[in-house]
Amino acid sequence: MVRAALTGRTRIGREPAPYAPYVPAATVIVATLLSALPIISMSGWFPDFGYLAFISWRLLRADPWPPWWAAPLGLINDLFTGYPIGLSVLLWSATMLALDLIDRRTMWRDYWIEWIVASVLLAIDQWLQWRIAALTGASVPFWRMVPPLVISICVFPVSAWVVARVDAWRLRR
Amino acid sequence: MATARPGWSRRAQYGLFFSFLAVIAGIIVGLLLLALSLVAPQAYNGVKGAALDLTAPVTGALREVVSTTEGLFTGAGNYWDAANQNAKLKRERQAMLRRMVEAKAIFQENRQLKATLQLREHGRETIATGRIVGSSFNSPRRFAILSAGTKDGVRIGMPVRSPDGLVGRIIDAGALASRVLLVSDRANIVPSRLLRGGIPVIAQGRGDGTIDVRPLEVGRNPFKRGDIIITSGTGGLYPPLVPIGRVVKLDDDGAIALPLADPANTSFAIVEPPFEPAAVAAEASPTDAP
Repeated sequence: MVRAALTGRTRIGREPAPYAPYVPAATVIVATLLSALPIISMSGWFPDFGYLAFISWRLLRADPWPPWWAAPLGLINDLFTGYPIGLSVLLWSATMLALDLIDRRTMWRDYWIEWIVASVLLAIDQWLQWRIAALTGASVPFWRMVPPLVISICVFPVSAWVVARVDAWRLRR
Repeated sequence: MATARPGWSRRAQYGLFFSFLAVIAGIIVGLLLLALSLVAPQAYNGVKGAALDLTAPVTGALREVVSTTEGLFTGAGNYWDAANQNAKLKRERQAMLRRMVEAKAIFQENRQLKATLQLREHGRETIATGRIVGSSFNSPRRFAILSAGTKDGVRIGMPVRSPDGLVGRIIDAGALASRVLLVSDRANIVPSRLLRGGIPVIAQGRGDGTIDVRPLEVGRNPFKRGDIIITSGTGGLYPPLVPIGRVVKLDDDGAIALPLADPANTSFAIVEPPFEPAAVAAEASPTDAP
């Protein structure tokens, strides 16, 4: 396009950063480490930052990381957030598989469908945490899990936006 | 592993197949790890402690910054209304002085009575003191991170209290930091009693920062708003006479209490040895019993 010549920045010679393949996994770990923030929450209504970043990346791109990375990333999340070990390993690997099967079936995608898929995944996350807590002797009524679920569903667009910005930055778009 | 058909390339087809296998292996490993953490959670003590040690120093340092900032704001707020506050504090001080004299008299009387009864006093020793630096964010469980670990003598199962009241007990211990199961966690059940009247009750967390209290004996609801709940020392883990919470709301057969030791505002938490270690040990290993 001729118009492109008017914009100052040339798009020629700009290539992805050399560390671009590792940026998605690194952002997920950073999101996991947000749980090390010195915030003392009495209600536990914060979103599951690691999982939010994880599904934001996976919904944006089909291959943000090799599929088997889901298990070690989940293990890191379990270790630093104090979940029962194995919960995120299981959930994150299953998410990779489920989204892959969904990708094979859906003809087209838009923001709304992504948000609905993310909401379902976040609901499964909350349900699993609630179930495991009940098995380990802390059974609370399920409606107590609704406020954190609503909050994380509302936070998903923000997380998706941040991830899209990071993606543009790592690929030097 | 995204595209449905990777084309005619045999290499691409195999790659897709093996990536599926890898994910399914990840799911199986996750299931096994989760099953192990449900059946034998102590298997992960070492690795969980190590993870705590990695993050806790950072959290602790950031916590300093947060509390300094908070302190600046409340400090500025105090100046705003200094004259009124001064007058109020003076009135309160007068009242407190009178109460203190009364308390001193009661204390002396108490000591004489105890001497006549020859009651054995339990020495309260402190294992370690630390700061509450963080908490669990988003699970139904309520944990806090304490900046004291096995290097200070902290062991799993020890009760934690603050000057205001009971905080909880240690469930994971790293060398530098440990994880505390707060009294507001659903799995934390504290044998306790009402300060007024001494009726035995059971305190159990509700998972949202409040505590459920139920009387041991079914019948009339003994609670009133504003009642203080204290530990009874039954069970041998928690020391007796530590305040737990204040009743804020009554329900049909019990009440809801707020913890007196708010972890968010607790400056220092004290780790104490289990009150009756022998009783706790007997409870922890029921297989030894005939």
